[in-house]
Amino acid sequence: MNQLSRRGFISTTAGVAGLALAGCDSGSDSPKAASKVTSANRTGAMDKFGVGDQFKATTPLTFSIMLLSNSNYPYKADWLFWSELTKRTNVTLQPTVIPGSDYNQKRSVMVSAGNAPTLIPKTYHPDEEAYIAGGSILPVSDYLDLMPNFKDKVAKWNLQGDLDQLRESDGKFYLLPGLHEDVWKDYSLAIRTDILQQLNLQVPQTWDDLTTVLRAMKKAYPDKYPFSDRWSTPPQPGANNLLALVGEANGVWAGWSYQHANWDPTAGKFVYTGATDQYKQMIAYLNTLVSEKLLDPESFTQSDDQARQKFADGKSFVISANAQELVNHYRKDVAKISGATVVKIPVPTGPIGAAKFGSRLENGMMISSKAKDGKDFVALMQFIDWLWYSDDGLMFARWGVEGTTYNGKVDDGTFKLAPDVTWAGVNPGGKKNLQVDYGFFNGVFAYGGSTKLLNTQFPPEELAFQDVMNSRKALPLPPPAPLSPDDREQATLWQTSLKDFVNQQTLKFILGQRPLSQWDAYLSELKAHNSDQYISLVNKAYQDFKKNHG
Amino acid sequence: MAMAKMPAVKLRAAKTPAVKRENSRGYRTFQIFNALILTGVVVVTLYPFATIVAQSFSSDTAINAGHVNVVPHGFNLTTYKKVMSDSAFWTNYRNTVLYTVVATAISMVLTTCYAYVLSKRHLKGRKFLIGVALFTMFFNGGLIPNYVLVADLGLRNSIWAIVLPNAVSVFNLLVMKAFFENMPDELEEAAAVDGLSTYGTLGRIVLPLSKAVLATMVLFYAVSFWNSWFSAFLYMDRSDLFPVTVYLRNLIAGATGGADQGTASDTALQIGANIQSVTIVLTVIPILTVYPFIQRYFVSGVMLGAVKG
Repeated sequence: MNQLSRRGFISTTAGVAGLALAGCDSGSDSPKAASKVTSANRTGAMDKFGVGDQFKATTPLTFSIMLLSNSNYPYKADWLFWSELTKRTNVTLQPTVIPGSDYNQKRSVMVSAGNAPTLIPKTYHPDEEAYIAGGSILPVSDYLDLMPNFKDKVAKWNLQGDLDQLRESDGKFYLLPGLHEDVWKDYSLAIRTDILQQLNLQVPQTWDDLTTVLRAMKKAYPDKYPFSDRWSTPPQPGANNLLALVGEANGVWAGWSYQHANWDPTAGKFVYTGATDQYKQMIAYLNTLVSEKLLDPESFTQSDDQARQKFADGKSFVISANAQELVNHYRKDVAKISGATVVKIPVPTGPIGAAKFGSRLENGMMISSKAKDGKDFVALMQFIDWLWYSDDGLMFARWGVEGTTYNGKVDDGTFKLAPDVTWAGVNPGGKKNLQVDYGFFNGVFAYGGSTKLLNTQFPPEELAFQDVMNSRKALPLPPPAPLSPDDREQATLWQTSLKDFVNQQTLKFILGQRPLSQWDAYLSELKAHNSDQYISLVNKAYQDFKKNHG
Repeated sequence: MAMAKMPAVKLRAAKTPAVKRENSRGYRTFQIFNALILTGVVVVTLYPFATIVAQSFSSDTAINAGHVNVVPHGFNLTTYKKVMSDSAFWTNYRNTVLYTVVATAISMVLTTCYAYVLSKRHLKGRKFLIGVALFTMFFNGGLIPNYVLVADLGLRNSIWAIVLPNAVSVFNLLVMKAFFENMPDELEEAAAVDGLSTYGTLGRIVLPLSKAVLATMVLFYAVSFWNSWFSAFLYMDRSDLFPVTVYLRNLIAGATGGADQGTASDTALQIGANIQSVTIVLTVIPILTVYPFIQRYFVSGVMLGAVKG
């Protein structure tokens, strides 16, 4: 479930405004390459394809695609999605079906063997970097001129800074990511509200409030740890969500979003995350919780099931959560305790205030480099642009066909799933499942989009959470500092030992096995693990990129 | 599927001819400990399987609450009905049976012929042929070259991609070779005097006397093909060609840590633990029921390689 780490969120030091550098446009997406596209590549393409246009190939076309078959809704050839897609676009997709359990492995073999289908979706940055040297994937940034909807969304939502995070040292990017209008937050803490009421406490707004609440709980139930956490899968230090949340509140990425390099906007350079004062603040905060016996020390080592069990048995009152876990598990788990109620609270705020940061990019799609020599290359890019980036395409992939699977409009708030269609607990009596029977809301096709579109999928309770989170200001991302392939290899070596060391010491400091007074000793040990060399490598990459592509 | 490899261990200790020793204190202590330890082993091996069976009859809520050990809670058969009504499951199941039968048959023919030839000491180039086989035990071309080879031979999306690359297991080959080498030369000489050709000797004399090793090999091959998923996963691009093991793997691994979990906007529901259990049980049962029928040969067959190297 370590979703955040997979998304490869980019580290940044938050807090201070004035990140003018992050805004600087390094998007030198040259139209030169796109002009290499000749009339020989225009089979089936539309002459005029712009924002809001329905894409329809002028001749029937077939594109091959790698299709992740999700075990929750395994691939079916007779999904309405396929037939309706062909009807609307004149394009037939020919899937190579891959079980989701081992998708990455087969993708790797097929791409390396030169056998990959044209479209290779469900790729998380930086996975695409492994294939760049082999030349088997297309530098998509060269062909954005063929994608009006993509460009429109990037401009409208000001995503240039996010996109820069994908760039390689050659200034190009090789992955077409999903685009979100706003940073989407899902993970937070779940808390037993009946205990809050019983003790006359308010829902904590800040992390310091949380300490107060936990102290009051401890006073009332001295034999219990009020907070026992989960998501401690290695290799991170443990309680990975908690660390990520507290880290973010302090302006540093920790836990499962840990990044080695942190942008320091005042100094205008990267610094090593594990050596920052913000990281120390985070450790100090958690150390207080542990030493006052408010936070179960097992939080950092126990399995998810053990943590859930403690929460279910009323042995703890606070636990990490996301919307799914809350509804599918915690509510059901505590049902046996009479009067128990659980909510997911808005993420408590910390020293950096009501702000959030994170990338607005989703996993994305690689395109086989063979495609650009194909006769239908332009049509292919137009097709991708329509299905993954146009408003109509996003709506279609997510909710299907108006009048069949849904009714109403997203914009005026009248959107509603058709009464006989069930999805994720909506219309539980519905005979047909949107994903299983119709093939919509498939993770391969449906992601990203406007906040309004995203909100259509939430129940009222989650919407309230989203409203709070959306009102927080998104901080700018750090400038790009892509390493060259050689440097990347060296950096990976250093990262591995650095990460082990930081994880180990983080845990020791938090659990009180090492006093915080030894922080300076820790810093010099960190240097012995090459943190300085690593950071100068990153800073050099940052300077080089600024010079060449800035 | 470790469960499939779980023969009912015979607890009866070997009888020693010395009657006195059986009554001695030391020997009885040994027997008691032996029985205890082996019972422990049986419990340890059976427990996970019993839990899976119990889960398959239980309700999902009971499993998640941690109430199910070896006795089902909230007994129901609805999950069985649900899984068995999934046509994809049966398509893949049929593939597994087909792949296993065809692959085992081909493997048996090839392995038997190869082993029989290698057992003849007068064969020219015998050492080289053994060397060729042994070489593949220690070195191989690696994943991607293999994939390219199979793809260029045009075997993808056909049963041959599963059958041919794994047709001869060198370990099985060596066991069979040892068995054939132990066969008295006089028998074959007598057959030759009576006018049988080489193939006649193999078919009418050697093979009928080798039922033990043949049964063992059939079992080894059948179990490994039944359980295998990787080559099918690699070479099959259509879900209607997958064996049931790929279906099962996606159900279990895909639901817990699969590549799709990262999709932020993809509201993935967890596959129920009871659905996973039911699928495991249904997948394991056929190969499990084969064991009792072959086990007699199996026990004596495995000893072969050990007796004479």
